Amino acid sequence: MNDLVQLTVDEDRCIGVGQCELLEPEVFCLSDEDTISRVVDGAVLDRARALAVVEGCPNMAISVKA
Amino acid sequence: MDRRASPADIATSSVYLDGIPHEGFTAIRETEGLVWHPYGPIGDGNGERNGFWAVARHADVREVSRNPEVFSSAVGHTNLWDLEADALEARRSLIDSDAPDHTRLRRVVSRAFTPRNTRNWEGMAREIAAELVDAFVAGGGGDWVAQVAAPLPIRVILAILGVPLEDADYLVELTNHLVEGTGDGPSLPDDAYGNTTPTRLLPFNSPASHALFEYAERMRQLRLADPGADLVSGLLEAEADGERLSANEYRNFFQLLVFAGNETTRTAMVHGALAFAEHPEQWAELCHDPSLITRAVDEVIRWATPVLHMRRTASCDTELAGTSIAAGDKVVMWYAAANRDPTVFEDPFRFDVTRVENPHFAFGGGGPHFCLGAFLARMEIQVLLEEMVARNVVLQPRSAPVHLASNFVHGVASLDLGVAS
Ligand code: HEM
Ligand code: SF4
Repeated sequence: MNDLVQLTVDEDRCIGVGQCELLEPEVFCLSDEDTISRVVDGAVLDRARALAVVEGCPNMAISVKA
Repeated sequence: MDRRASPADIATSSVYLDGIPHEGFTAIRETEGLVWHPYGPIGDGNGERNGFWAVARHADVREVSRNPEVFSSAVGHTNLWDLEADALEARRSLIDSDAPDHTRLRRVVSRAFTPRNTRNWEGMAREIAAELVDAFVAGGGGDWVAQVAAPLPIRVILAILGVPLEDADYLVELTNHLVEGTGDGPSLPDDAYGNTTPTRLLPFNSPASHALFEYAERMRQLRLADPGADLVSGLLEAEADGERLSANEYRNFFQLLVFAGNETTRTAMVHGALAFAEHPEQWAELCHDPSLITRAVDEVIRWATPVLHMRRTASCDTELAGTSIAAGDKVVMWYAAANRDPTVFEDPFRFDVTRVENPHFAFGGGGPHFCLGAFLARMEIQVLLEEMVARNVVLQPRSAPVHLASNFVHGVASLDLGVAS
């Protein structure tokens, strides 16, 4: 089964490292303006990759949307 | 209160003249809970009182890194020794602040260091790497530190900052003095470089910091008058939440960048070169399969662990690994130990460029202070290795490295390497 999930970035936690964009360039986009990562509208990932990027964010700013 | 004493000395700087005391770290990692390690002069009892909790297991380093509310960077600071309040304030920069100050500062500076931006500098870094490698090979080898590992990162960071190339040697000299400031050895006289500030107010207690500040200020004047596409101009223009960097924030950050972007990456390149010279089969493997490059880069960084530790200070009473920690206690994360934790790394004392699972903490254990330059450092090490692979350069050990007496940077003063023909 292809279990797709959506992700969100907590803007207060994001420190703009860009690890997320590096791992999943289709899903995350770092704004040049305020250096906060945003999830591309409607982007989804399968659960394993989503968990990897959640884990990959050094400041725990990314979570899976309930 | 009874505290479990450390089974090994990992704090005396001269211990590091023989390299990282891995046996000591292993003993600490294997001791249940946390151990208390004395720091400073022991005889008068202060060493015991000024000591710290030694955090050596990977999971515990992670826990400390990711709980900045409890394990603060701003209370006390991030080096082992303590500072008086005025000194702490004068030196305050990104690395020793907490949210919300840290978040604001970090956002001002982070835009330059995202993976996307870092790629813009790759061509420049590659040219510098190629030039240095060619010269090293043409000379039949020599001191890898002086000829390749030191000049490469400093030239890259100076190019990014927009500093003229002819000042590179001067800035290398200054940062070398800063590292000395972390050791026990003699350093500069207090009035070196025309310094008049009490050294306790200066980063690394070093008059070289005064010289760096002066240099930073000169750059500031230059770029305010004539802005360019360089990072200094960017920093002076950058705003976060409507605020600009203050003059003090700017100069502290300039000094942090020149230091952090230089000594660390150099150290990774030194230990990497030595590891490949001593493990020629690993070099052959990388040359045979260049797609291993990103794994090789991270293995070099794990192997080197250029920054041996960072300190936090407990902001409240807490507990870690079943040990009670009191508010105000120093808590020191030993990345050097976490990066050899056998519960995380298979065969941790083997240098292995094919390592797949490599969640090393050389850039910190996560959390808000995660190394700002992680992508830049990786990119520099990658272009260096790629240029060496492209030229089929095979390094050979000639003599043992000369280690620095520093418990903070895994530094090497010189490393004589040959080149196989
Ligand atoms: C292999 C090379 C490098 C290593 C091993 C390294 C290691 C580290 C470590 C361990 C930290 C502290 C992390 C923490 O407290 O959680 C750090 C922070 C930092 N590094 Fe690096 N670093 C390297 C290269 C660089 C470069 C090239 C730069 C230049 C841009 C840089 C700039 C910084 C800055 C500014 C901080 C403070 C970040 C903050 O407090 O928010 N580093 N680095
Ligand atoms: S990895 Fe985390 S902190 Fe970094 S940009 Fe992405 S969300 Fe922000």
